[in-house]
Amino acid sequence: MTSLEIRLTALGHELDRPAEPDLTAAVLEQLSLSGTRPFPWRRAAALAGALVAIAVAAAFAVPQARTAILRFFHLGGATVIRVQTLPPAVERPQAGGLGRPMSRNEAEQTLGFRLTLPRFEGGGPRRVYVIGNSVGTVIVRWQGRRMLLSEFLSFGGQSLKKLAVNATIVDPVEVNGRGGLWLHGGPHTLTYFDRQFGFQEQTILVHGNVLLWLRGQLTLRLEGDLTRSQAIELAETIG
Amino acid sequence: MVDRPLDETELVERSRRGDLRAWETIVRTHQGIAFRTAYVLTGSAADAEEAAQDGFVKAYRALGRFRRGAPFRPWLLRIVANEARNRRRSAARRERLSLRAAAEARPGDAVPSPEAALLSREEQGRLLAAVERLSDEHRDAIACRYFLDLSEDETAAALHVRRGTVKSRLSRALDRLREELEGEL
Repeated sequence: MTSLEIRLTALGHELDRPAEPDLTAAVLEQLSLSGTRPFPWRRAAALAGALVAIAVAAAFAVPQARTAILRFFHLGGATVIRVQTLPPAVERPQAGGLGRPMSRNEAEQTLGFRLTLPRFEGGGPRRVYVIGNSVGTVIVRWQGRRMLLSEFLSFGGQSLKKLAVNATIVDPVEVNGRGGLWLHGGPHTLTYFDRQFGFQEQTILVHGNVLLWLRGQLTLRLEGDLTRSQAIELAETIG
Repeated sequence: MVDRPLDETELVERSRRGDLRAWETIVRTHQGIAFRTAYVLTGSAADAEEAAQDGFVKAYRALGRFRRGAPFRPWLLRIVANEARNRRRSAARRERLSLRAAAEARPGDAVPSPEAALLSREEQGRLLAAVERLSDEHRDAIACRYFLDLSEDETAAALHVRRGTVKSRLSRALDRLREELEGEL
């Protein structure tokens, strides 16, 4: 420790701090009232996997049944739930809210997988934004539009992304022969979960249309002002 | 038969199975550092209390995703700090850190620590003012690592960055402080 570090440590002992409250009663009261046990994420993930197989098969086989079945839908690392009221969420600022900016190499090391990207002028994205060490996002410009492309692992339990949907319409689509979801028609919230620690990272409000699809081990998400056919056309060029 | 105190791993396991008594012990053990961390990040005692409380509630609910065998305190502090950041106030509205009154002694403080004895009140004041002039990310790194005495891993968890980032932020912040206080240290 340097002399400055020793002085800073000493200073820490001399700071005026507010009295520390006893939180136990309030915490236990909140937990007792909600009657909540720790959520069994691993068992839930396994159950969700089983439900997904059934739901996907049924949704794609019986067109009339799609709306009802899609009240709860799981695609790769994303879950879509239709709810009456959207949870509290923040508007994503134009230039922020995407996570920590870093180089592609650094992002891939943090995320633990290689990103699947469209062709970029100059060879690659200038920045990859990483949130929760689980979701990587790049800004894609296509036909004069600016879109967000996010990628995360489809499997692995700890990497989970959840979408809550209110008036949004959810349609099953195909991208390069694999299943996907097209969300449009209303705002929805997007909640990121931390891969390592597993708790809720951030909830934001999304107004644009969104395409979710699978590619290899990844779930991809494209958000922006695109029609369904434009989004699928762009998605099929990625990779 | 005498009941032996449960270690943290057992307490976490019991809490994971829904044992609120076990979780109460964990809250009691960690509420001090949780509140202090939240206070440093929010700059408000009221917000810090709320953040720490909500952090413990959310951590309990997320126990199913806690990796067995991983260090518990960084995991908890990360959740609490996340709650604190959501309530963070602008620098202008934040309560500034200040020195406690000179005559005020903490329980157990028989004599000033040897480190404290190295600094006069005036020097302490200047050093604290310099810390408060740092950018938020540098100030938070200094506060977590030195004022709260968190480990580098815990600081990384609280600030939601990698350990390497903590090291580089600390290094830059310390350089900045040395520049500011040149001739005094």
